[in-house]
Amino acid sequence: MMHIKPILAALKRHKAGTILIALQIALTLAIVCNAIFIIHQRLERVQRPTGMVETDLMAIHSAFVGMGDNQGGPLIKADLQALRQLPGVQDAVSLNSYPLRGGGWSTGVRTDVDAKDSKAHTTQYFGDDHVLSTMAVRLVAGRNFRSDEVVEADPRSVPDPSMVIVSKALADKLYPDGSALGKPIYIGDTKKPTTIIGIVERLGVPWNAMWSDDFYENSLILPVQLTSPYTSYLIRAKPGQLAEVMKAAPAALVKVNRLRVIPSERGVRTFAQIRDDAYKGDRGMAILMSVVCLVLLGVTAAGIVGLTSFWVGQRRKQIGVRRALGATKRDILSYFLTENLLIGVAGVAIGALLAIGMNLWLVTQFEMARLSLVYVLVGVVALLLLGQGAVLAPALRASRVSPVEATRSV
Amino acid sequence: MLKMTHLSKVYRTEVVETYALRDFNINVNEGEFVAVTGPSGSGKTTFLTIAGLLETFTGGQYHLDGVEVSNLNDNERSRIRNEKIGFIFQAFNLIPDLNVFDNVEVPLRYRGMKAAERKERIMNSLERVGLASRAKHYPAELSGGQQQRVAIARALAGSPRLLLADEPTGNLDTQMARGVMELLEEIHREGATIVMVTHDPELAARAQRNVHIIDGQVVDLAEDPRFHHAVHAARANSPA
Repeated sequence: MMHIKPILAALKRHKAGTILIALQIALTLAIVCNAIFIIHQRLERVQRPTGMVETDLMAIHSAFVGMGDNQGGPLIKADLQALRQLPGVQDAVSLNSYPLRGGGWSTGVRTDVDAKDSKAHTTQYFGDDHVLSTMAVRLVAGRNFRSDEVVEADPRSVPDPSMVIVSKALADKLYPDGSALGKPIYIGDTKKPTTIIGIVERLGVPWNAMWSDDFYENSLILPVQLTSPYTSYLIRAKPGQLAEVMKAAPAALVKVNRLRVIPSERGVRTFAQIRDDAYKGDRGMAILMSVVCLVLLGVTAAGIVGLTSFWVGQRRKQIGVRRALGATKRDILSYFLTENLLIGVAGVAIGALLAIGMNLWLVTQFEMARLSLVYVLVGVVALLLLGQGAVLAPALRASRVSPVEATRSV
Repeated sequence: MLKMTHLSKVYRTEVVETYALRDFNINVNEGEFVAVTGPSGSGKTTFLTIAGLLETFTGGQYHLDGVEVSNLNDNERSRIRNEKIGFIFQAFNLIPDLNVFDNVEVPLRYRGMKAAERKERIMNSLERVGLASRAKHYPAELSGGQQQRVAIARALAGSPRLLLADEPTGNLDTQMARGVMELLEEIHREGATIVMVTHDPELAARAQRNVHIIDGQVVDLAEDPRFHHAVHAARANSPA
């Protein structure tokens, strides 16, 4: 480090190359920090739990043909009976939607009958007393519905139910003191109270878009069996029997009633496939960002290798002179590593400011989260290490220049 | 100070062996000013690069300041170059990106000397060559003669035991060459040991002793009659 002053003096005489590489490092750091932040956010979303035990779980979408909204009740009952009797099936339920399905019902919830604004936004799952066991969500307080508490309803005019099971996140939002069990809530515009009889540990909403992130774990389960001819069956197979149930369940439904449509695409899916489809966009974005990062890092490393190689070639004689005047190979190596480190430090200093500035812009323009400084710090260290790694080969080549080079005339 | 005995340097390729130095013997005593002369391709520069530990040799022995150098590793050779040898090159070999002060400082930094001592030595040696006022100038802003004086200041700053000069006036006009030569003579009078490689009989005439090389071997100057006469003529015309 004792050679910093003359190295800085020399760099001042090579401003163009120095500034270009420093700027390249700065831009790379700014983009890579934000890209990795986005990748991390996306990967966190891809991995976030639904609250259900997702293994051995599958879904079938079915639509009865030529039927009104209030005529599906008996047919759904027959379907559920057939599904639950299949040897590989542990339980099954008919629902308006389920986590990660992509479409569902949402509403506001109040705790005060006179309140104009809702206290929380939530999704609503309509199903019978088999919802909890089929989803395998954990009941942390209260109880499940009894079968006699489940009512049938036309989806166009669902009555206000007298009871509800809520997710813990929603319970805590509505009653932050932890006393939600047994308390009333008012769903939508109704004046009629619905009592919380159970709380499940976690249950995600059907959507995975950014706009639903604020209420991702706010869910209501209502003891209502909708009579719509369009329904989704969530089926839990016995452990290890999912593959058999995937074949047997659609066949069983067709056997009960042939007048139905089960879409060939996405009509029958394991939950692993459902999760895969739901987060395809996030995974794609993470892959794209990763490729951008790798390309940028590669280009920056190549730039450093290129510039240093050029400088080594240009300064061959100078290196020989330094060796003749007493520099060891290590001194020459250290010279180029230090020179690169100085450029790198200037680059990452500018880059860190750019990264934060870029993130602030993304925050205001695209409602992105604030970039944690840890990303910037890790980026700074990574870029400096990349720089030192990239310069190593040309610097080693420089250190091998013979001192006799000082006497060469060209 | 410098003693080479039966020294040889062979450049080998797949098909041919070329002897740059063969059974080469020379002995330079402390405080001597020796001119090593010879025609182009005779081995003068090879001798200088080996003497300056810039290159290794193939056979024989070389003692520098009492140390046999053939078994030294690269780091030890660098340390000896730095502490015991001062180089003056024909092309000056200043570092263009550094100013005069920083150029003279280069060997002192490699010695790990403290900043205050470095500064004192740099200014002393620049004053000695008459360029203290040009310390902040870059080489490109100086004349050839001034650049060579800076190179001499750089060589002197480390207080070397031996000064090796390779055609020190080769790139200078007559007037500048005279100035540089007078400076070298002055340095010699102050006690320095100087070995100067040159093909210029006038410069050779100003050294205390001439060592003439032909085909990689030291020969009697009389074996090169034209050069012999030129040196004698130069000595006869010398004002001293």
